[in-house]
Amino acid sequence: MTAASVHTRRRPRINVPAGSFLLLLLVILLWWLAAQLSFVIPTPADTVGALVSNFGDADYRRHVEATAAAVLVAFLVAGLLGVLLGLALGLSKWVRIIFEPLVVGFNGVPKIVLYPVLLPIFSLSGSKIVMGVLFGLFPILINVAAGIRDMPAVYWKLARSVNANWWQVLTQIIVPAIRRPLLTGVRLAASLSAVGVVLAEFFSTRFGLGRVVLRAYGNGNYPDMMATILLLISVAFIVSLLLWRWERKTR
Amino acid sequence: MESTVAAPVKTESPHTPTPVPGRRRKRPSTGLLSAVCTFGLLVLGCLFWHLGSALAWWSPATIPPLTEVTPALVEILGSGEFWGDAGRTGFEIAIAFVGGGAFGLLVGIGFWKAPTIGRVFEPYLVSFYAVPLVLFYPVMIVIVGINQWSVIILASIMAGIPMALNTWVGLSGLPPVYLKLARSLGCNPRQTMFEVALPAAAPFIVAGLRLAVVYALIGAVAMEFVTASAGLGFRIRYLYESFDTVEMFVYVLVVLAMSLALTFLLSVAERALLRGRAGR
Repeated sequence: MTAASVHTRRRPRINVPAGSFLLLLLVILLWWLAAQLSFVIPTPADTVGALVSNFGDADYRRHVEATAAAVLVAFLVAGLLGVLLGLALGLSKWVRIIFEPLVVGFNGVPKIVLYPVLLPIFSLSGSKIVMGVLFGLFPILINVAAGIRDMPAVYWKLARSVNANWWQVLTQIIVPAIRRPLLTGVRLAASLSAVGVVLAEFFSTRFGLGRVVLRAYGNGNYPDMMATILLLISVAFIVSLLLWRWERKTR
Repeated sequence: MESTVAAPVKTESPHTPTPVPGRRRKRPSTGLLSAVCTFGLLVLGCLFWHLGSALAWWSPATIPPLTEVTPALVEILGSGEFWGDAGRTGFEIAIAFVGGGAFGLLVGIGFWKAPTIGRVFEPYLVSFYAVPLVLFYPVMIVIVGINQWSVIILASIMAGIPMALNTWVGLSGLPPVYLKLARSLGCNPRQTMFEVALPAAAPFIVAGLRLAVVYALIGAVAMEFVTASAGLGFRIRYLYESFDTVEMFVYVLVVLAMSLALTFLLSVAERALLRGRAGR
């Protein structure tokens, strides 16, 4: 209450979360207007209706489960692998000299073109997980490595002077010191592994929401297409926003 | 690798990207060593590939031998079809970079001038990475028709967002004394922007440009790969679907080589643009 009154006294300020929410409403309004102008764009209400009826369908739930499971596995593997490789890259000068240019280079590669190469190696259901891992791996790896490199030298001195063993150094010094870049990496990895899996599903898969979108588009069933797009986007947005808020709180 | 690459979205504190002067003096030797090691690793990779094919660790249908891919590479590089696809992809990337970069720069400056609006938009911009923009491709086709503009528009959005965020972070990290100086010298708004604010935020803006190029490339190729009807990404999909593994490998290798070369050129350009700023 007091904080609010201080704000109003200084100058009339807009409440930022409320503004962001208003922006969302504006976008939905624009969407509705676009739907009125063009008959191929379904209205927001039709889309939500299609989404609700989709979830009554066992077949659709199976696609949702397939995508969710693939994203979860890809994110966990990318996180674990990314932290380990990031530690190696950040801690060892030689690992950095030898591998850093290639790591940075591969970060800028459109990894999706590797998908047809992966398919015969990892089979249809494994390849999209590998794709998600490839997408999610680099942000976490690079952030962990950069975070370690930016640690003040005095932290290492402290570790030596208290005779910390490697596990204590890792959990008591490194992780707290790099928590901000680490969380940035985790957020980007969560987002990008989902993007990787859905992109792979767009290309070819047996079950998955990317395929559902493409099939609905092919059949001209635009409300269904928009419903699945809306589902994917909302879940991705909400997860990313929650992680982002957490990241901002850890200063 | 500067920390701005690490965090395409919000970079840490504004002054981390500038390297310590002491480290810079040592750079040439480790840089050369890195280059030699990278080259060695690539050679080792090719050797492993050749050995694996020769000793039949995998079937040639899965990974064709290097001895078949190399002649195909030479042949394809001489064909008009390849240059048609490469030209289209290059055009898309260039337009997306220029359009998205300019738009991102303007948006970033706008957010700096009106921070409240910036904060209202921030959660959406930050989460844009979470959205597979390819999902909008069918929607784009409905709006602009089946042509390269749907790819260009989506790739521009992907390029513009990191540019906008980086510009904003860079400008809002300016020491207030810079703007005070501009005021006390009686600079007009244009001078304040071009002579003081933008040069001071240059490390962030240049890092943003670099991300914009990378995202334009990733966006354009991924979009082509999934849905388009021309371009390098499309060709890879097409060759996959016609079971032409050797030619598909050639195109995959070309795209990989192209993007690695682009990353390398960008880091060289970044260093050249920011030369002499180490002591900032």
